[in-house]
Amino acid sequence: MSPARRWPAAQVPGAIGAVAVAMAFLPQFGLPAFYDSLLYLVLHWIVLATSWNILSGYSGYFSFGHGAFFGAGLYTSATLLARWDWPFLATLPVAAAVACALGVALGALVFRVKGIRGEVFALLTLAVTFVLGTLIVNTPIDGGNGVSLAAVPVPALGPRPSSTFYLLALVLAALTLIVAWAISVSKFGAGLFAIHDDEDAAELMGVPTFRYKLAALAISCALAGAAGGVHALFLNYVTVGEVFTITVPLTVVLMSVLGGARHWAGPAVGAVAITLLLYAFTAADHAVAGKAAIGLILIGAILFMPEGVLPRLRRSLRPPPRPAAPHEPVAAPAGANAAAGPGVDGAPLLQARGLAKSFRGVRALSGVDVQVQRGEILGLIGPNGSGKSTFINVVSGLYLPSGGTIGFEGRDLAKLPAHQVAQAGLARTFQIPRPFANQSVLDNVALAAMFAGGLRSPAEGRREAMRWLAFAGLQDKAPVLPAELNLHQRKFLELARALASRPRLVLLDEVLCGLTPTEIDDAVALVRRIRDQGATVVFVEHVMRAVMALTDRVVVFDHGRVLAEGPAADVMQRPEVVRAYLGEAPPALPPTPPASAHA
Amino acid sequence: MSGFTLPSTTLLAQSVLSGVFVGALYGLLGLGLSLSWGLLKLINLAHFAFAFLAAYLCYQMAAMGIDPLLSLVVIVPAFFALGAALHAVMARFAITPFNSLLLTFGLTGIVEAVIQSIWTADFRKLESSYGDHRWKVAGLYVPLPELITLVLAVSLSLAVWAVLRHTDLGKALRASAEDAPIAAAFGIHQKRNALLLAGTCSALASVAGLCLALGFTLAPAQIYAWVGVVFAAVMLGGLGRALAPLVAGIVIGVSEAVTMAVTAPSWAPLVSFTLLIGILLFRPGRAA
Amino acid sequence: MLEVHDLQVAYGAAPALWGVNLSLQRGELLCVVGPNGAGKTTLIHTLAGVLRARAGRIEFDGQDITSLAPHRFCSVGIAIVPEGRRLFTQMTVQENLEIGSLLPAAKARRQQTLESVLVMFPALRPKLRQAAGELSGGQQQMVAIGRALMACPKLLLLDEPSLGLSPLIVTELFDAISRVHAEGTSVLLVEQNVGTALRVASRAYVLEEGRIAAEGTPGDLLARDQIRRAYLGL
Repeated sequence: MSPARRWPAAQVPGAIGAVAVAMAFLPQFGLPAFYDSLLYLVLHWIVLATSWNILSGYSGYFSFGHGAFFGAGLYTSATLLARWDWPFLATLPVAAAVACALGVALGALVFRVKGIRGEVFALLTLAVTFVLGTLIVNTPIDGGNGVSLAAVPVPALGPRPSSTFYLLALVLAALTLIVAWAISVSKFGAGLFAIHDDEDAAELMGVPTFRYKLAALAISCALAGAAGGVHALFLNYVTVGEVFTITVPLTVVLMSVLGGARHWAGPAVGAVAITLLLYAFTAADHAVAGKAAIGLILIGAILFMPEGVLPRLRRSLRPPPRPAAPHEPVAAPAGANAAAGPGVDGAPLLQARGLAKSFRGVRALSGVDVQVQRGEILGLIGPNGSGKSTFINVVSGLYLPSGGTIGFEGRDLAKLPAHQVAQAGLARTFQIPRPFANQSVLDNVALAAMFAGGLRSPAEGRREAMRWLAFAGLQDKAPVLPAELNLHQRKFLELARALASRPRLVLLDEVLCGLTPTEIDDAVALVRRIRDQGATVVFVEHVMRAVMALTDRVVVFDHGRVLAEGPAADVMQRPEVVRAYLGEAPPALPPTPPASAHA
Repeated sequence: MSGFTLPSTTLLAQSVLSGVFVGALYGLLGLGLSLSWGLLKLINLAHFAFAFLAAYLCYQMAAMGIDPLLSLVVIVPAFFALGAALHAVMARFAITPFNSLLLTFGLTGIVEAVIQSIWTADFRKLESSYGDHRWKVAGLYVPLPELITLVLAVSLSLAVWAVLRHTDLGKALRASAEDAPIAAAFGIHQKRNALLLAGTCSALASVAGLCLALGFTLAPAQIYAWVGVVFAAVMLGGLGRALAPLVAGIVIGVSEAVTMAVTAPSWAPLVSFTLLIGILLFRPGRAA
Repeated sequence: MLEVHDLQVAYGAAPALWGVNLSLQRGELLCVVGPNGAGKTTLIHTLAGVLRARAGRIEFDGQDITSLAPHRFCSVGIAIVPEGRRLFTQMTVQENLEIGSLLPAAKARRQQTLESVLVMFPALRPKLRQAAGELSGGQQQMVAIGRALMACPKLLLLDEPSLGLSPLIVTELFDAISRVHAEGTSVLLVEQNVGTALRVASRAYVLEEGRIAAEGTPGDLLARDQIRRAYLGL
């Protein structure tokens, strides 16, 4: 159904486990010692690349600091071994824990600051690597001379010391791959992928972005730290200069980008390819040419295969989904929006009082009071720049208000982070649709069902999503990527996504903008059906005939204030409203004819 | 591990002076990087590789008897063309700023490999008459190579500043960086300007390479040693500026030198990277 | 002077203009009004070269400019005052004005044109060395108009100059626009604020949902129901 999952769920960890067990017996079968070390390196890089990918590939926060966490684990083990004679295996969990703590401390600080994304995050994490390296080199931990582990005994887990490292790396690699896979098919992973595509939209769909990023970072660091712990004894003599550099992060980025950063197995593919390639060059005494080859491959990958080898391969092996004609929309799922009954009820569902929002001195909203009755369709209209979209953005939690309260079912939404607003039962669409570009139509809707709607697993989310896609007439487009939809379909996708969490209040931001007259009629009909099965609708619109046809009431905005409020036909005749739209009326304006409804 | 030792005034002053010299080189290296990132929205990691390639070429030509400063006549135009060509490729594929970082990292690896295959990984030192001269000014030593670096850094930064501020080309570049479509609507030929700027950035890198060759021993692995510090200078000064990288570079250079004089050389990297972290945390908008 | 035939423009997958036909005579002040989302900015951006048309033809001064490269529109004689000003906020007012006159022909007359712009907008004279981003909305609009005038254009395109400005400033701006027109420049003005626009225009088009819904003199259009229906839905 969805292009992201190919193998049935339980089989993947089983397969990985089976392969790992089989490979564990290789040393017993007379594998030469040399291969122990080569395979160790391959597995070691699989762990590093895959663990990096859990944060950076999945969520899009490309970290250049993986060397810092790896190094932290490495030095933890080295110190425990050299200084306090700990048994080797016991140092590994500690190494993982130290690296994890370091990552969490960094993340807690950095992820709170808005604007730290992309290149800034990469540079920041790189800087942390060098700072940590400098601190270690100047303190007794390393002291500038490195740490020698020559006297430390290697536990005998296999026929030779080198097999011990091989087996440990094998266990770690299997663990890391299983963790990466498990995350990619879980609700947690879906949230991370959403953060990758559009963090603000994800937050508005109910994904707790801060917590998720922190969790991904913690897991990533713990695994890297464990790998570092093993590597310390493998190297036998550790120095800061080898570990706290730009090489580890860049190699890891290269491996993941080459193999495919969105797929759990992509970094592993890249790790195997690059390690073996480098080995081949080194063995043939062309180590330098190997570096050049790697550089060339990276350039080729960025230019021609930006999403990596694995997705390319899978696409060529799988037939494209059949395009199908859109069906007639289906009736809404039974029991939807159970909280509200049909028709207009007495108590207000949403009460905004004194709402204000300023941007750098510009007052976009000042002292706005708006009441939304349960079960009604309320239109927000007004000239360009009057504050309608700002109102929606503030209520949905995208912006923090400068003042005022937003009462919704007994809670004040004004102070809540956006994902909690979504979970409280409020959903919104964007004027220019913002689907998650790398997820299928079905997964886009499933995300809202899981996070704002509170469903537990991706499977449940997808079932619920399918119902809403059918409601919007998009069920045949479920496996397709949003880029293949036209504007009309993308708008309906926005609607389906907003509805999948069964919100009590739906905020629509210029949903009709850019549609043809026929498409507008379709959309109007859909909005009516949305209200008919229990949701309250507030929509910002400029297409007047739709406003006339759909709304029970309108609120007119002008220069950040509420100018008028009441039934549409009545409000549009009031002189102050006419003046706001048309400017000072030229003297030749004849009196307005009696209102006639436009279908 | 050493504690804090307070050096004599002369020693401190000498440290500050050498900090100014090395800081000027940070600034010169950072100039091209800052312009490229700020005005072209491309992060050119290969800037450092180009500088080193130019440095090695100067070294080679000096070994063949050509005066290093004279070799610039050939090297600068060559690197101008190289920079413009690289930009043409990146523009053709519409590379995002982040991907440009990755792509140029790949390029760095290639250039590093080329350097290593021609000149091996051994340390190389440019031998020229410039290294023999040094003056004593107010009790402090002023070596000629470092003085040349300072003069080049200051004059080039000032030249770029003058072009950006006072010429139509400079204004066109700044306008394009802020609002490309509207700049085009006023007749600004962005493709051509971008190629000019990209070429200039690489030409600046090649001059920095000369300074590297004059003052330092060269080894391919050394390329990466400069990356962190120069990025710190660039971000500290703000992107797309002409004088700021130089000032920031000198600030960092002097702080490092004083730190080294007072504690130990190995503490020096802490200064620039802590500054960088601070800037990124508290003013992430500078990078946008 | 300007002939637009069957113009179709789209934003990616979203069509914005469907077969727009329009003509402007030399020396005219033409107005295009319409509600929000009608496609007015799309029209202006296509005429200025910022957007490329998907189909149709644009003829300016007898020359087919439909497929011209974006940076050539200015040299043909078209200058734009974009919606929301879109000044180069980090550059000074003077530099913004100079950007308008980068092309050789305009550059030769830079000093004179600058002086005439400052005469038209005296409030800008003390602000020349200030960063454009620090000015008030009305002053920024003056700079935006000045910037376009510095190009000595044959056709001036204005996209919603009154947006977000107080009525007093709007009056001042429209007086300046009238003066520019009186001195011989052709003007195409796109506006949401009908009252102000129709007062200065000699002819107007009504753009609604990407199509021309009506055309005529201001009095003509107001007498018919077109405008009211388009804007108010009544």
